[in-house]
Order: sequence, then C-alpha cells, then structure tokens
Amino acid sequence: MAAEKHEARRIAVISGKGGVGKSVITANVAAALSSIGRRILIVDADLGLANLDVILGVAPPFTIQDILYRGRPPEEVLFPTDKGFDLMPAGSGLPEGTMFTQNLAGDIESILASLEDRYDAILFDGGAGIGDVVLFFANLAHEILLVVTPEPTSLMDAYASIKILHQVYGRSEFLLLVNQADPDCPDQIGASIAGHLQSVISRYLDSDDHGLVRIELIGSIPEDPAVPHAVMRRQLLSESCPDAPSTFLMNQVADFLDRKFL
Amino acid sequence: MSGNNPEDQKLNLSNALRILDNAGREDPRVAGDSPNAQLQSVIDALCDLSIHDGLTGLVNATFFHAVLTREIERSLRTGRTCGLMVLDIDHFKAINDTYGHATGDAVIQAVTAELKSSLRSMDTAARIGGEEFAIILPECAPEDAIHAATRIHSVLNPVTVRLEAGSVDLTASAGLVWTSPNLSVSSTVLLSEADHEMYRAKRTGRGRICYKHADSTMISRQERSALIMLNCEERFHGR
Repeated sequence: MAAEKHEARRIAVISGKGGVGKSVITANVAAALSSIGRRILIVDADLGLANLDVILGVAPPFTIQDILYRGRPPEEVLFPTDKGFDLMPAGSGLPEGTMFTQNLAGDIESILASLEDRYDAILFDGGAGIGDVVLFFANLAHEILLVVTPEPTSLMDAYASIKILHQVYGRSEFLLLVNQADPDCPDQIGASIAGHLQSVISRYLDSDDHGLVRIELIGSIPEDPAVPHAVMRRQLLSESCPDAPSTFLMNQVADFLDRKFL
Repeated sequence: MSGNNPEDQKLNLSNALRILDNAGREDPRVAGDSPNAQLQSVIDALCDLSIHDGLTGLVNATFFHAVLTREIERSLRTGRTCGLMVLDIDHFKAINDTYGHATGDAVIQAVTAELKSSLRSMDTAARIGGEEFAIILPECAPEDAIHAATRIHSVLNPVTVRLEAGSVDLTASAGLVWTSPNLSVSSTVLLSEADHEMYRAKRTGRGRICYKHADSTMISRQERSALIMLNCEERFHGR
C-alpha cells in the first residue's frame, strides 16, 4: 500500500477589514515558525493587490499569475526568502487578478497540491473584504485565522466574514488574533473582544441547521511603534526590533500554531 | 387532423407504439379494454414520455421550465417566494471515464433515488443535464428554502453508490436561489443564477451548497447594534 501523501497544514489569515496588519502578522509568524525548523510557504492570496513582497523587501521575478496564465512551473515561481520561508508572490494590480473563475480556482488548488509535500504549513495572506478570492482561500484552509483590531468597523467586518463563511461554506471554527490593542492592557482587551464577538455569534449565528460557531482567541498584540518602524524599513520585527513586545507576541502566536496544528 | 379515418387512427397508433417501444416503454394497452380506452392509454403514455427523462423518470428540462415559469408567476401573484436549487454530481466525468457510461447511468439513477426520497410532495425535480438536477421548492420563504435545500443536499453528501466494481462515495455541489416577489424574472435567468451559485460551490471545494447571500448573510440591524453595544470603554481602553 502506498504511503499516505503528506498534507501541509493550510492556514488562511483574513480580516474582512483592510489595514489591520494581516500581512505583517503573516510574515512575522511565518518567520517565527521557520526559526523553529518548520517548512513554511506563504501564498500571497490577495491576487489583485498583492503586497507581501513590499513588506518583505524582496523583488521576486515571477508571480502566481505566471503559473496560471503563462504556464511557468510552480517550482520556478516559489521565491525562497532569507527569512527561512518561501513565498508564492502574486501580481499587484493585474487585471486577471480580479477575474476569478471556477477553472482558476481549480488551477490554484492543483498548484497547492503539487507543492504540499514540501511544507509543514502553507499560510494564505488573504485580501480584505469578503469577495470570492478571499472566501475561496479561507475555505481551502484547514484553519482560518481572523485578525481584528479594536475598531468597531474591524469587528463588524470580521463578524461579516465569520457569518458568510459559516452560513455559506459551513465553517464553524475560527482563530482570533487581536491586533493594535491598547498597550497598557492588551490581554484584557483581547479577551473582551473575543468574549463579546462570541456572545453575538452565539446569539445570531448558532442554529440547528449550521451548528455552533466557536472562536478561539490565540493572542492579543499591542499597538507597538516597532511595527511601523519595521514596515518602513521593509524588515521583519525579529530583524529590526527583536526585543519589542509585538515581536514576542508574534512568536507566541507561532508557538501556539506549532503546538496545535503542526 | 386526420384521426377520423379508422385507417389513419390505426396508422397513428402503430407509430405511437413504436415511439413508446423505442423509448423502452411497455405497450400500455390492457387487453379487453375498449378501443377508445386503449387509445387513451397510449396517448397518456406518450404524454408521460414527452415530459419525463427516460433515464431517471424525473421531469425533463422542457417541462421543468414550464413548471418553473408557472411558479415564478405564482410567486409574483401571491408575494410568496419560490426556491430553485441546482445540484450537480461532483467528479462525475471521472466515473464515466473510469467505469464507462453504463456505470455512469447507474450512478445517476442511484443518485436520483436518493434525491427523490428527500423531496417534499410539492417539490418538482428535473434532470436538466448529464449529471445536473434542478429542484423547484414552491412557496418557500428564503430561510425555508435554505432549510429544504440543505436537507436535500445533506442526503447526497456523501451518497454511497454500489457498483459491480465496488462502491463509490459521491458528493454533489448545489446552488440555491429564490424568486423575488417584486421582480419578474424568466425561468432561464433564474436557472442561470442557481447555476452560478452551484459553480461557486464547485470552485470553493465541492460537496457544499452555496446560495445567494445578499439577504441571508447581510448583517441585520440587531446584529450591528449588538456588535457596537460592547462596552466601548472596556474594549478600547481596557478600563
């Protein structure tokens, strides 16, 4: 009997609202996981407005669009970063990024399947909103990690994402990461947001038809000047501010993911 | 019409019987019945043949559109929405390619049997393409349509079909839409909307049901209030 095919753990990082720190978190968590020996691939899943290459300070020669539209082998597009993980870059502002067809979805699934045995985890850095592409990647993932900030608009958009992923796609478990929390009491704020979100979910979304929805708070990262500092320098937190509180907490998130899923 | 001439009538009858025979139907005439009763039984059989799909016994696409048009008109008249579900067997081509078309047909028949068992008496199911089915869910509010469609879909996910070569577990992707009581729409347009949702289910993983979510997943005023009502002081400042 053939050995069971290795399947990388797929984790989608989404938020609903843009600008909450998804890409920064994805990159830093990926680096932290790589530093403890995990084989990690980040897929820039924001097909039309990709920006992970900017955050990482790299200039990959090819993007996922080169595989999808120009027949380049996936192995040639994978970009090994000096942070320890690989990046599957996406083009920015490309018109084809906005056209999401069933064939395209199938092609992306095939690409990921062909790369699966190389990695322990594949992180999808999702775009903002609840469009087809975001929902596709979220639903393709084993775990969905929602990043929220304490702003009401962020909470609202995160709730909308949970609602649609639950009611339309049947997803019931979500990891929650609170970002940009008050540095004086990040844990308290994280717990408060998670508790409140769960209570609204339990009241409006739990049903006999779709089952119960559960969110699990996996961390609360404080507002930290180290983050914009690192982004401006196009570096990771571990490079530019290794001792910053947010660096420590990104590592904790990576530890959590590693312990629980990898 | 030339049916008054007994010779013509005889000729028509033999044509009709040939059509029924070619379609695999038995001669519907009962020995001992009057000639008129026998003719009527043949006419009934022809009518039945003209609206049903030969493989599954479900109504065919032509008749389905007629029923759907009637239900859309009823929805406009009564103000009650009507659901339309489209269902497609996942990876069916692989079954045909691997086991052959006869097995593919057997799979379609097995899936049809499961589908029939999950329908309400008022629902109309049709085979509208190779491995594609459509179901009209009349007089259903959107939440009722979702409930009914989810129940139907769950019967087929997965469904185990026993074949000579062994058994296969199949799934189906489904799309669901519903009429808007204030909006006149053709059966073709409604069907293409349901198809669109079904293809969304396909490309987001298969084995699932997608439905138009503009209404059902919109955040209600109550949900908005509940989300914002959070103790702002505590959330924003941790006090």
